[in-house]
Amino acid sequence: MKILSSGTYSDRLVSYSVIFSLIWSILGMAAGVYVALELVIPTIDFGQEWLSYGRLRTLHTNAVIFGFGVTALMGTAFYSVQRTCHVELFSPRLAWFCIIAWQFTVLLGGLSLLAGWNAGKEYAELEWPIDILIAVIWVCFGIVFFGTIAKRKVKPIYVSNWFYGALIIVIAMLHIVNSLAIPVTISKSYSLFAGAQDAVVQWWYGHNAVGFLLTGGFLGMLYYFLPKQADRPIWSYRLSIIAFWAFTYSYIWAGPHHLHYNAIPDWVQTLGMVMSIILLAPSWATMVNAVMTVSGAPQKLKTDHSLKFIVLALAFYGLATFEGPMMAIKSVNAVSHFTDWTIGHVHSGALGWNALITFGTFYFLVPRLFNTQLYSKRLADIHFWLAISGTMLYILAMWGAGISQGLLWLSLGDLGELSYGFREIMASMQPYYILRVIAGLVFLSGAVVMIYNFFRTIAGRKTATVQIPAPSTASEQQVTV
Amino acid sequence: MTLFIFTGDMLVMLFMVVVVVWVFWKSSDDTIKKSAEIPLKDEVREDEHAV
Repeated sequence: MKILSSGTYSDRLVSYSVIFSLIWSILGMAAGVYVALELVIPTIDFGQEWLSYGRLRTLHTNAVIFGFGVTALMGTAFYSVQRTCHVELFSPRLAWFCIIAWQFTVLLGGLSLLAGWNAGKEYAELEWPIDILIAVIWVCFGIVFFGTIAKRKVKPIYVSNWFYGALIIVIAMLHIVNSLAIPVTISKSYSLFAGAQDAVVQWWYGHNAVGFLLTGGFLGMLYYFLPKQADRPIWSYRLSIIAFWAFTYSYIWAGPHHLHYNAIPDWVQTLGMVMSIILLAPSWATMVNAVMTVSGAPQKLKTDHSLKFIVLALAFYGLATFEGPMMAIKSVNAVSHFTDWTIGHVHSGALGWNALITFGTFYFLVPRLFNTQLYSKRLADIHFWLAISGTMLYILAMWGAGISQGLLWLSLGDLGELSYGFREIMASMQPYYILRVIAGLVFLSGAVVMIYNFFRTIAGRKTATVQIPAPSTASEQQVTV
Repeated sequence: MTLFIFTGDMLVMLFMVVVVVWVFWKSSDDTIKKSAEIPLKDEVREDEHAV
């Protein structure tokens, strides 16, 4: 039977974005393992400034967030928006520009960090020339994405597009405002904000980058690829819409919890804490919705590698989004802040949620993009167990280190003096830091296994041509949600 | 300040109640079902031998 179609999807650029994202994942994670090793053996910077902890740590975070994460988000957004709208991308050339120019920008940013250019703001370290490049590419990303939505042939805007759309709009706003600066030289600028205001703007940016990029963007990925792979619609579409608006409205207020007990007004800190606790509701609403969706396909969960990674990612999403609000409570924060507990929390999200859902999505995408079978299911199984082992070991090591640090720093003697010195406490952290290096190596080796598996899967193949359904299916009728 | 935070929280709650009411009021079961099924019918593959 001849199947009706109306053109083809722009999938070749999605294939390239997957490959670029995988390359950045290895580079970024390798840099992370190296800086973890530097905390165990500090002399391995060999006296080289570019190998120092301060420079390599920022390279690690930028490579994994902007290289691995954002490239994956761009690719999956382009893949899903055209399918949920039943049209080819608006301006595929501009989409190609976004993907390629983004790689050059992240590369340039990484080299500038190694050279010591640093704006001094966490997760916004890149200096003003690179900030401008990021803003230009991001606007182009928005034009392609919203242009595709504007010419859609399916009336409802599917929920994944709401999350990707929020990612594009909010990150543009955060990046532009937080990067406002007065350039002094090509490699140095000073923030337009000063003192406490600068801190509040920075963490308004920082926490919402976590919220709308590392959470919201990847929820867009979840809402498209989970139903796709489970082969069933999302359990409650109404709940997904409510969760989106609750998430969007609550997250934007939560930033001040990064500044508890600092020189900002107490009520701002309390507001940040309260809104962080409220965030638990939309976060877990999404988790429940996703778990209930998968619960209808238990047999597939046993054999499907993509689904296994996505469900594991959901478990860590639930853990991280419970732990975050708890750490935002001021009395808990008194113990956790400035300790490795925070690093553990970040990595339960970054490794357990962001990386695993991306891996699960790639296990779905790579065979489909190249219209073939995965080279080895056994290697995918090995990757799964390396990923879960590495993540758990990392989190447990950092919980041990962080809670120890917090309690030891708060210990007072009979006369109210500190019971333990900073140096003494840090020296006792050595076993935890060694465990972290091992955890990082385990997780990284899993990613290497996956890349080898993908390389063998796609070797010698071209991106498949996939046709757009003709405008006659049920979903293209007039629907008003 | 406590009153300010309380008022803000109540406004957040009001916003969410409005969203919930709007979602349930404006959408029928049929339209919700069709929207949820969008990802399941979004491509035509002529040579789908593996995936």
